[in-house]
Amino acid sequence: MASMRSLLLPLGALGLGVAVAAGTPVSTTAAVASAPIGSASIGPPSIANVVAVQAGTIHLVQDGKVFEGGATILITDGKITAVGKDIEIPPGARVVDYGPDAVIAPGLVAANSTFGGRARSKRAVDPLVRAVDNFDTYTSPVFTLQEGITTVYMSPGQGRLISGQGAVVKLAGSSESERVLSDSATIEGSISEDARRTPGYWEPPVPATIDIGMGQQQQQLPHTLMGAAVALQELFEMARTGVDNPNYAPGVGRELQELTRAHKPWRIGANTVQEMRTLLDAFKQSSHPLIIEGANEAAALAQEIAKSGVPVIVDAPIAPNQGGRDFGKERDSDWPRYDAASALSRAGVKIAIAPSDRAPASDLRFAAAVMSRGGLDPEAALRAITLSPAEMLGVSDRVGSIAPGKDGDLAVFNGSPTDPSTSVLATWIDGEVAFSASDWNAKRDKNVSIGTVVVRVGELYVGDGEVLTPGEMLMRDGKIIAVGRSVGRPAGAVVVKAGAAGPGLIDALGYLGLEGSTRVPPARFELKRLVEPGDFADKRVAKSGVTTVALSPRGVARSGTPMMAYKPAGEDVERMIVADPVALRFQWNDRNRRESGKALEEILKKATEYDKKWSEYEEKRAKWTPPAATESSKSEGETKDGEAKKDGEKGDAEKKEDDEKKDAAKKDDKKDEKKDKKKKGEEDAPKPITGAWETKVTLPPFEEARMRLYVNDVDGKITGSLRCDALSSTLIQVTGTREKNKVTLSGEGSQGTVKLEAETKDDKLSGHVMLGDSKAAFEATQTSTEYETARRGEVRKPKEEKKTEIKGEPKAPNVDAELEPFRRAKKGEAAIVVGVDREDEILDCVDTFEKAGIKPILLGAEDAWKVADKIRGRVSGVLLTQRVVWTEAKTGALKRNRYAELESNGIPIAFHSDAEEGAADLPLIAAYAVSQGMSPTSAFYALTAGAARMLAIDKRVGLLKAGLDADVVLYDRSPLDVSAAVLRVWVNGKEVR
Amino acid sequence: MTMHSKPTPTRTIAFAGSIALLATAHFAPAASASDGKIAIKCGRIITQAGADIENGVIVIEDGRIKSIGPDVKAPWDAEVLDHPELTAFPGFVEAHSIRGMDRPNENIEVAPFLDVRDSIDPINFYFEDALRAGITTINVQQGPQCVIGGQGRVVKPIGLTVEDMTVRPSEGLKIVAGGKPGRSRATQAQALRHAFSDLRFYLEKLVADTKDGNDHARREAMFQGRDMDKDENKQKRAMEGVAPWKIEDLKVVPRGEIDEKQEPLLRLVEGKLMAFVNCDSAGSVETALSIARDNGFLANTVLVLDGDSWKAVDLIAEAGVPVVLGPTLLFVERDPITGKEIETFVPRVFADKKVRFALQSLNSTTQSLWYQAATCVGYGIDRKQALDAVTRTAADILHLGDRVGSLENGKDGNVVLLSGDPLSVTAKVQYVVIEGNLVYDRSKDARARQLLEGVEQPNAALQSPDDGPVDPHSGKKLDADKKSETKSDKKD
Repeated sequence: MASMRSLLLPLGALGLGVAVAAGTPVSTTAAVASAPIGSASIGPPSIANVVAVQAGTIHLVQDGKVFEGGATILITDGKITAVGKDIEIPPGARVVDYGPDAVIAPGLVAANSTFGGRARSKRAVDPLVRAVDNFDTYTSPVFTLQEGITTVYMSPGQGRLISGQGAVVKLAGSSESERVLSDSATIEGSISEDARRTPGYWEPPVPATIDIGMGQQQQQLPHTLMGAAVALQELFEMARTGVDNPNYAPGVGRELQELTRAHKPWRIGANTVQEMRTLLDAFKQSSHPLIIEGANEAAALAQEIAKSGVPVIVDAPIAPNQGGRDFGKERDSDWPRYDAASALSRAGVKIAIAPSDRAPASDLRFAAAVMSRGGLDPEAALRAITLSPAEMLGVSDRVGSIAPGKDGDLAVFNGSPTDPSTSVLATWIDGEVAFSASDWNAKRDKNVSIGTVVVRVGELYVGDGEVLTPGEMLMRDGKIIAVGRSVGRPAGAVVVKAGAAGPGLIDALGYLGLEGSTRVPPARFELKRLVEPGDFADKRVAKSGVTTVALSPRGVARSGTPMMAYKPAGEDVERMIVADPVALRFQWNDRNRRESGKALEEILKKATEYDKKWSEYEEKRAKWTPPAATESSKSEGETKDGEAKKDGEKGDAEKKEDDEKKDAAKKDDKKDEKKDKKKKGEEDAPKPITGAWETKVTLPPFEEARMRLYVNDVDGKITGSLRCDALSSTLIQVTGTREKNKVTLSGEGSQGTVKLEAETKDDKLSGHVMLGDSKAAFEATQTSTEYETARRGEVRKPKEEKKTEIKGEPKAPNVDAELEPFRRAKKGEAAIVVGVDREDEILDCVDTFEKAGIKPILLGAEDAWKVADKIRGRVSGVLLTQRVVWTEAKTGALKRNRYAELESNGIPIAFHSDAEEGAADLPLIAAYAVSQGMSPTSAFYALTAGAARMLAIDKRVGLLKAGLDADVVLYDRSPLDVSAAVLRVWVNGKEVR
Repeated sequence: MTMHSKPTPTRTIAFAGSIALLATAHFAPAASASDGKIAIKCGRIITQAGADIENGVIVIEDGRIKSIGPDVKAPWDAEVLDHPELTAFPGFVEAHSIRGMDRPNENIEVAPFLDVRDSIDPINFYFEDALRAGITTINVQQGPQCVIGGQGRVVKPIGLTVEDMTVRPSEGLKIVAGGKPGRSRATQAQALRHAFSDLRFYLEKLVADTKDGNDHARREAMFQGRDMDKDENKQKRAMEGVAPWKIEDLKVVPRGEIDEKQEPLLRLVEGKLMAFVNCDSAGSVETALSIARDNGFLANTVLVLDGDSWKAVDLIAEAGVPVVLGPTLLFVERDPITGKEIETFVPRVFADKKVRFALQSLNSTTQSLWYQAATCVGYGIDRKQALDAVTRTAADILHLGDRVGSLENGKDGNVVLLSGDPLSVTAKVQYVVIEGNLVYDRSKDARARQLLEGVEQPNAALQSPDDGPVDPHSGKKLDADKKSETKSDKKD
């Protein structure tokens, strides 16, 4: 907590003039939020356009300097004016803070790209081709900007001795002219294999007469390396004199002369040792500056190149994402080599790394990573994709490093810039955001409200005892996607670093959410009706690390008290509930000890009978073969998720399972003693539409929008709300009626009265919605049968429609909400919690439950440690009281840590708070148990995976495992350490604030 | 239908049957142009020059409009088209077309010496279709598969020979700024620059040769058939005009000595020829304008746009050049991030920036000029501007504003008589008058009738199924298909 506050400070301290980010970067405190945070409009009008960009790490590249631990770059009117750790931010400046984990590098420079196109001149030498003519300023190269690349080299074409003049351009910028850094950066050419296949040049005479003929092809050099050497000499001669050579196009001499007078470098492609040697020899005799490009085999020639002082652009000899390739099976086949950059760098050659001619510029960082093989240090690799290419191409006065006076071109990463798995958070050009991952994601995935977060910690406590050091975890859309030593970083992922992380803690029995109520509801009461999004207290509890609470009303009813596992700090009601009911709670001991357990024994007897009925049914069902498939498939289709909740979750879940066992399943409620009052005639009676309905509507001119309807249907009178962005910017309160299956609703939205007319049919609600004159048809499906408001009245559940009987089909027994948990507990899918303390009673209780085939969770169980041997393996677990250390009341002797005692005897334990917001104490209770001799590993297990397993909710919570809910707690150090502080907490992938 | 003086059959094209018949029809009006005295009375005249006239008369004599107005009296000897139910409209002007030729493209990349005259095919169905759609003036230009193409020509869609059809020869050169297939914009731009530097090299060499006393150029000129003793060939200096680059001492070279292969390009840089520059993308607009600027023909440039060229509207507006918009008026692109389609109505972009624009047909029937203009109105362009884009503006862009594009005294007598508003879907072209000659009469357009009504089968209803035609060889009854076959055979 403390450190969170300190992170808040820099933003708060900047005062009123600070507006956070035009490009909605992720600020420190908003690392997870994908929604835009504020906008630039808050700040007062500033005279000069000053932006302060902040991040944890800033690579200047110039002089190899790196600022760590937070630094600022000041950009004034598109140019960098200052960079450093303690920069005074002028009043009125826009401050954009990417947080302590972000890394800023200069905007990357791709020394090669496909932006120039692949067309080439017919002439072997055509310096008049200018790549800048291909510059398309009208299309935004978003996929290149997305990789942090701000400057690219445009090639005039490949495969020619001199293909033309290269250009260097920026991928975004205020004005067109500003974007062209150099319209004539190089004289580009090649002497490698592909340039030695130039076909002859033929220009047919016009008109071709019998005297003149059609002419013939004029051969063009080079076809061999020797030819290339000769051609180069001819070109040098032309460049010197400016006089055309008849072997080349007219005007070449003059152009070459102009270019060489301006000292344009010759950027010549050469891959093999021989080619590079030929180049070095040819240029040694002339005074022309040379850049070698390609340089696949340069490792063998590193020393020689270093001696000549020629810089090299190393093309990564791979074009990923473009299908397979072969190299040749001969001994002298040219196989790609990936060691050129490191060898050249070691020898002291200035290198730039670039994607190959065929790969897009967006592969630049991948190219740098591949070419780091053989030991190129990350700093050198970064330089090879920033400053070095800028210097070689003569544009280092404007781009390539972060230094005062240079253009405000930045690439913001969520990790090391040279690690290809890091992704770009934002790209800045001329002090403006040219790409922003958060904007991008918001634009692309409108429905994903929860951002992508990578947690990177020194110690990752998975929960089941396994610890990854270091460990990483990727969460997205409320779920854990991956856990491992290193995980992927999808575009736009925010990386969060900390000392340690673990799963959210579980309070195995608490009252958080009852709000002081002591009412004891019956066993069939659905606690989820109490659930509402987390309030202040809930969030405070979550911030202590406790994210899941097994809630139970305080008192115990004879027929059992329901328990529900839920996440108090959640925000989405549907996702908050982990399991309801997760358990039933009983009390074994009676005030009259002789009566202890009597009541529960009765219930258990009933439960056994109930279970037997079901077993028999299942047995019959397994043997039964349906007479015809057509009819039964119809009934199977009616097993909808929405219905699963209707008749008590267990019952329907069970039915579903049965249905799965037999494809041709059919439901039947005939044996239902209590509930089945249905007559045949009532079969077609329409169901109330209470619950949540969801669909999408298209209301011109709006785009398709999600429409959610929450309604409560009491005897045809409907109240509720409707949310749809296309209809209203606010929640529309609707009222209306239902006559049979016709539903009419209306309400006032921000744009006027909204009317809805629909019919229910086949579990769908179809009709149309009207706003003024516009009308849109929809067909909504029911996503819930609950009317989602807190403390809503108990709604009588609609009876399931009776299905036509198939002769001889086994009839399923009716589901009894009070007994169903026992049946599930027997299968290990739910729990029965029994309050019991004396040792004899514990043994009685365990014996009785064993007869019923159930392993109970013992609650209280003061004396359990005494009979640990006898109950081992016969109970699901023990929830001890808060009194960790037990002392003999009379003597004060025999001090025992009961948690440790049980745990070491192999009996699963979990911690419970026995309180509402006191759940926040749970980690401390565990910490105390540890301080009194319990193993920290076991204590942590008991707080997380142990509790989850005991309550059979380990498919949702309790572990950091792919597929589970993203409930994560970040600690500054190992959570096993008593002094560990909770830094940040996520519930269902959303950070708790 | 009332027609006071029925036009003779030779004056009306009867679009039926053989090419020979068609040729005769085409030929006739040109020959009879001198007696082309016609008075058109109709319910409404949309003059495209001021207010519309209700119940007016247009009198055309000698191919020109002599008078127009509500109270004009038809000369006693003129043939009269009296149709109070019809609307008169100036003939549509096609500002740019690459159709009507035997083939639109040429293999040679730089060929300013070509002329579409040699390629225009007077009996091409395109011209017939154009007439049917009310198009009376067409600027035929070479196709875009070149660097510098040949000279275009403005024609009317009637006449037996290209000369008969011609309204104005050598209307301009076709230049292509967007890369043709297999080329990038850079190589295309290089080829363009190369063409003009070649011209310079040629002229410099010419000067040097002349100074050296070589008569090579003179002999070549005589070989090409020029009379070098003629005054204009002897005296006129080789280069005048506006190009920013000048060749020193070019005045020593007589005009007649300029090679005819280079001559059109020279005329272009002298500002004597128009340039129709094809741009297929916004980037190529920049290339087009810089080439035009560097060689002094910006003022004579018309951009023929396609693709996303409209994105360069600011550059175009700044250069002040008019444009001919490509046939696809609604530009659709995808947002690379969301994948959503973004639509841009191209004429709107130019209308907003006050750039003069003309429209061209996608093809002469289904998306003819009226349709393009109607689409513009549908997308909210001002009606007058939309109509101008297919008449007045198009004529102005072609520098033919004094001859076509509106119905005014002294202008060419090109009138279209429509059954309704020119932008109405249901309106049909009933008559077309070009230079005072009635050249199209819908009631006699057999091909259109066939297309719209199908082939009539007279007596089909009378024939009982039993007494149908019988194959004389087999004695079997002929089926329906064969019936029509035999019928059309008979007709021919």
